[in-house]
Amino acid sequence: MTRIGCLLVTTTLLTATAAEAQRRQDAERPIMAAGIAQDVIEVEVNYNDSRIIVFAATPQPENPTSGIAVALVGPIVPHRMTHRTASGEERIEFVGAPQVFAIGAEPVVTASVSPETMIEAGLNAQATALPRVDQLLSPKLLSWREAFVDLKMERGLYTFGDADFKHFEGGLRRASIGLPVNAPPGEYSVRAVAFRDGRVVGEARQNFTLARTGLDETLFDLSRQHGLIYGFVAVLLGAVAGGIGAWFGRR
Amino acid sequence: MLIHLPIAQIAVDPLILVAIGTLVGFLSGLFGVGGGFLLTPLLIFYGIPAAVAVSTQANQILATSIAGVSAHWRDRQVDTRLGTLMLMGGLAGSTVGVGVFSILKAFGVVDATISFLYIIFLGVIGGLMAWESVGALRTTGGDPGRRTRIRAWMRGLPMKRRFPRSGLYISIIPPIGIGFFVGMLAAILGVGGGFILAPAMVYLLGVPTRVMVGTSLFQIIFLTAYVTFLQATFNGTVDLVLAAVLMLGGVVGARYGAIAGRRLKAAQVRLLLALLVLGIAGRLVYELFVAPQPEYRLEETL
Repeated sequence: MTRIGCLLVTTTLLTATAAEAQRRQDAERPIMAAGIAQDVIEVEVNYNDSRIIVFAATPQPENPTSGIAVALVGPIVPHRMTHRTASGEERIEFVGAPQVFAIGAEPVVTASVSPETMIEAGLNAQATALPRVDQLLSPKLLSWREAFVDLKMERGLYTFGDADFKHFEGGLRRASIGLPVNAPPGEYSVRAVAFRDGRVVGEARQNFTLARTGLDETLFDLSRQHGLIYGFVAVLLGAVAGGIGAWFGRR
Repeated sequence: MLIHLPIAQIAVDPLILVAIGTLVGFLSGLFGVGGGFLLTPLLIFYGIPAAVAVSTQANQILATSIAGVSAHWRDRQVDTRLGTLMLMGGLAGSTVGVGVFSILKAFGVVDATISFLYIIFLGVIGGLMAWESVGALRTTGGDPGRRTRIRAWMRGLPMKRRFPRSGLYISIIPPIGIGFFVGMLAAILGVGGGFILAPAMVYLLGVPTRVMVGTSLFQIIFLTAYVTFLQATFNGTVDLVLAAVLMLGGVVGARYGAIAGRRLKAAQVRLLLALLVLGIAGRLVYELFVAPQPEYRLEETL
């Protein structure tokens, strides 16, 4: 097993009650006050299974409709999609869409929250792909977005349901969500959204940076900043590996 | 178990890559071809981005060719003089080929031309080789006859030199010309060209099959070193972690490929190479006319 780096996620989390939020409109999503906090979470990335862990507390935990959803989103970059049709090729540009989108929700949330509410809460993968202004009203936008999410899922960058939840006393939840093994470096955010009666009642968000370290960082930087040296190293590696192979063959 | 590739930026199973490297290395050692025509599509099929796959395969083939050529070197079956002449032609040809590629690209016919050329060449070369080698297997199983019409014409060319390792006394023009032509095709088609060069050496120059394998590998070493350096320096698309894992299997496979080649008759080696070439042609025909094309493509525009 090759461990090529470690990810330091500094997150101060999350959540707590939001009694007032219940009274607000869905459009004004409330921010949950930080009632639970950790200082530093260190996640060792071994590319087998890396997970982000957040703690959240739901208001009125005894209410059977109370539950939370967690999402890992980032980095936001432009994408271009091409659709091959019988008459040629069509293109659409998403000026901003997350490279990684992982979401998990408790069963009660999945069962009670409408798709519209999930979109308003920013927890719908398709809705996060923002097209260019002139393509915003395209009648094909829905099919473009569906294809976008399908392609991202094929690449393992968009995952749905890869989350575990544990309940503790006092409404405290421990949510663990998988970080895709091929997640690119960049700015990410982890969000925890509390629901009750099918509506958003609280939200907390924490940003973190996924960075290359160790050999990963060295090779990437060398290839980008010192191409000539990288070229020599590449040829040298091939020559040495071939030489070792030849030497073993003679023995 | 997965590892992360720093340039390709994806996680992969190293055991699968070692297996791919071993298979391609074996074929390389057996036939004297680089194996890029097989390695690149296998890597892309496994999920490696095309740009990284094309660049990194050259690095892996560099290692396997060195490992493979050592066995032939020890058996004194590498004609360095002939290989150097073809390499000179090849480097000049690939420079011209890059220009031709740009012209085809400007006219927007590059994909169609490449596919068409590929299928024609592979089909003709593979078919003729299979026909000849099956005939040879019915008789001695050795190399094709040396007194052919085209060789008689070549004997009339000036600037003759001796190539003792191949047992030839021929003009230097044909080796350079063949190297040039193969280099140009290689640049246009985006492959090493070993699968074209190898039969050309046997049938046009009259190089014995055993010497052909070692000599072909010899010139592939320099060609792939050149390509690796250019790709790594100017495009930064050579993934050293990916290359290292592929090399693990590749160098072992190349050794066993060379050993296996010694146990086969020359005509058997040619027949197997012909079948391999025809197989690649068949795959291309399938991809062009049968395989479903993806409806949507997605790329990040950072």
